Amino acid sequence: MKPAAPLLVLLPALVLLPVLLLLPQAVHGGGWELIAQFAGAAVQPSLDPVVLGAQLQGLGITCAVALVSWAVSLVLGVVLGVACSRVVWQSLLGVSWPADGLARLLAIPRSIHELIWGLLLLQLIGLEPSVAVAAIAIPYGALVARVVRDLLDALPRSSLEALLAAGAPAPAALLTALGPPLLPGLVSYGGYRLECALRSATLLGVFGLGGLGNDLLLSLQSLQFRELWSGLWMLLAVMLLLEALIALLRRRWAMPARWQLGRSAASPGVGRQSRQMLAVLAALLALALLLAWRLRFNPLQLLRWQPLPPLAPGGWAEALALPWPALIAGTVLLTLLAAALAVGSGPLLLLLVAPWRWGQALLQLLWALGRLWPPPLTALLLLFVLKPGVLPAALALGFHNLGILGRLLLDAAESADPGAEQALQCSGCGPRLALLYGSLSSVANAYLAYGAYRSDVILRETVVVGLVGGTGLGSQLRESLSGFAWGQIALLLVAYALLTLLGEDLSDRGRRTLLAAA
Amino acid sequence: MLSPPLLELRAVTVAGRERPRLSGVDLVLHPGERVALLGPSGAGKSTLLAVANGLLAPQQGEVLWQGQPRSRSTGARRRQQRRIGTLWQDLRLVEALTVQQNLNAGRLAIWGWPRALLNLLLPLEREACVQLMRRLDLDPALLSQPVGALSGGQRQRVALGRLLRQDPELLLADEPLASLDPRLAGELLALLLGIAEAPRALLLSLHRPDLLEGFDRAVGLREGRLVLDRPASELDGACLAALYAGTTP
Repeated sequence: MKPAAPLLVLLPALVLLPVLLLLPQAVHGGGWELIAQFAGAAVQPSLDPVVLGAQLQGLGITCAVALVSWAVSLVLGVVLGVACSRVVWQSLLGVSWPADGLARLLAIPRSIHELIWGLLLLQLIGLEPSVAVAAIAIPYGALVARVVRDLLDALPRSSLEALLAAGAPAPAALLTALGPPLLPGLVSYGGYRLECALRSATLLGVFGLGGLGNDLLLSLQSLQFRELWSGLWMLLAVMLLLEALIALLRRRWAMPARWQLGRSAASPGVGRQSRQMLAVLAALLALALLLAWRLRFNPLQLLRWQPLPPLAPGGWAEALALPWPALIAGTVLLTLLAAALAVGSGPLLLLLVAPWRWGQALLQLLWALGRLWPPPLTALLLLFVLKPGVLPAALALGFHNLGILGRLLLDAAESADPGAEQALQCSGCGPRLALLYGSLSSVANAYLAYGAYRSDVILRETVVVGLVGGTGLGSQLRESLSGFAWGQIALLLVAYALLTLLGEDLSDRGRRTLLAAA
Repeated sequence: MLSPPLLELRAVTVAGRERPRLSGVDLVLHPGERVALLGPSGAGKSTLLAVANGLLAPQQGEVLWQGQPRSRSTGARRRQQRRIGTLWQDLRLVEALTVQQNLNAGRLAIWGWPRALLNLLLPLEREACVQLMRRLDLDPALLSQPVGALSGGQRQRVALGRLLRQDPELLLADEPLASLDPRLAGELLALLLGIAEAPRALLLSLHRPDLLEGFDRAVGLREGRLVLDRPASELDGACLAALYAGTTP
């Protein structure tokens, strides 16, 4: 009794049953009028020039931080990725172990969320423009490095071997043989990372590292919903513009979409287009440099550490005495709940709106809001009506990731071969059943595989809703950070890193199994 | 005296990019009729079938099912569509599912949600599917195989099986013989003609006029217009040559 692919894709949505059962107990009674005010303010955002001016400035800082940190992470990632590629070491020195060793080391910066990096650096260095940039660039650089290494090592080596055999020096041979074919994959992934960087920069703002996020948080806390919405609509416009631009370039360069779910994987365009890609990349990097100068971003600041309060006597014992099993269980529960909500709700909502023409457009808007909305703000909003706990945290995290997964699902369902779905509809089948049996079944395995990868990201992200969850490593970490409890912080970081690496391994295995079955 | 028509197209026109894909087509199909749809490539045969099964709505003209115009209400239109089955040129099977689940996809319109979901967990109505497989000359052991693992000829039979599970009154088939060798083509055609006995009817688009034996009637399309409609027995070489060459038959 093995559920077929289209049923498998609906199974995570079963999590909605316990969530709906628990919701009535989690409601604390008041706050509905605030939610109503918030919803009503969506259609009448503040148009006060002072507010708009301040928010535009904040948005400018957020975009600048996103672009600069993205550019730094890309450069860092390519350098590190080349440095930990097996084929590079083998061509240069004939050994591959340094590549594997370096790759393992890079797992550490990758496993720690940019928010933790931000809060740590904030404690060490103080509020400087370079802190937000470094906080994003460190984990992103390690993520890009992993992708570059995987891409490089998966490229066919025949042309490299031919050049080396003809006596070309190894660096020149590597650049000639592997550079051009690496470019499309790198550019495609780079585009996706730029979208992520905008979301991360907004999030860091919420935690006080500058930019629009901070304005949004203050508006929410002072219940100025109309101001909140003018900021949100602006951010939405920028995000949709960026996404549309990246999608346009992807189409123009005939590149595979990020985590191609559909069946047709377009062959990457190499050759004439390489020049265009390099030109766009160079222009963006130049823009980033200009912005970095405007932001007065100074990397040397990162070296000026503030004197730290010493480790309190008995700090380690105190750290060991933390309720570790409960903290880890809380994090895992939050991850599983949020992941199931994010993965399961997408297909379910798509099925629900299938009969209506405008349904998909409505979902697109909902999902765009989910993507752009920093999860801690959603969580704060939910706290108007819900008691603090794992539920509002999971809902907030789930909604954000639903935005990312849902968009992918919709793109994939639209690009899937419509034949089977049409055939079913022509035989008198309703649009929902036709969608389930037709298009959803063909994208199910790839979607779930991406869901497995996303669950790993969600595990990292649990820290950002830690403050409302009251459970898990994230909330404890926030507490320890504000108390300068260095022993606790160190152990918590180790626990976080180990848990994320374990999660990464599990999600990799799950993804491979699902893709093999597809 | 013929019984009342199953399907009637009245002055159906479907717009196209350069010229209409169908232009003022009148066609009446009665129960028990086996009609071959002939014409050169691009004449509009697939478009005509798409209008007949409801995939395309014509810009002008009317489509009547058993004397009733095609319903505007979703539920009633679906009930009409349930009685029209199509064997698609590209088969349109659900690749991710097993043979049995694909056969049962023909029942979805009648089943509704609970059984449709259950079929994805425990494929239903095995006995009916086993009998169907025997009738199609397929090994019942294939029922639990994913349909993607089958050969081209086997897949075509599964698509036909799905059509039989739907049990429609009007069978439409779009070039079902195009990619088959002569022996397989003959077998499949015999199966289709055997199914299409009154009260059912068959409209089958055909590339090869040499396979007309067994059909009652032949209609011919050229450049979107119906230019030929006569009993299959009265069709001669000159008439066909005219249809394909472009002179008036």
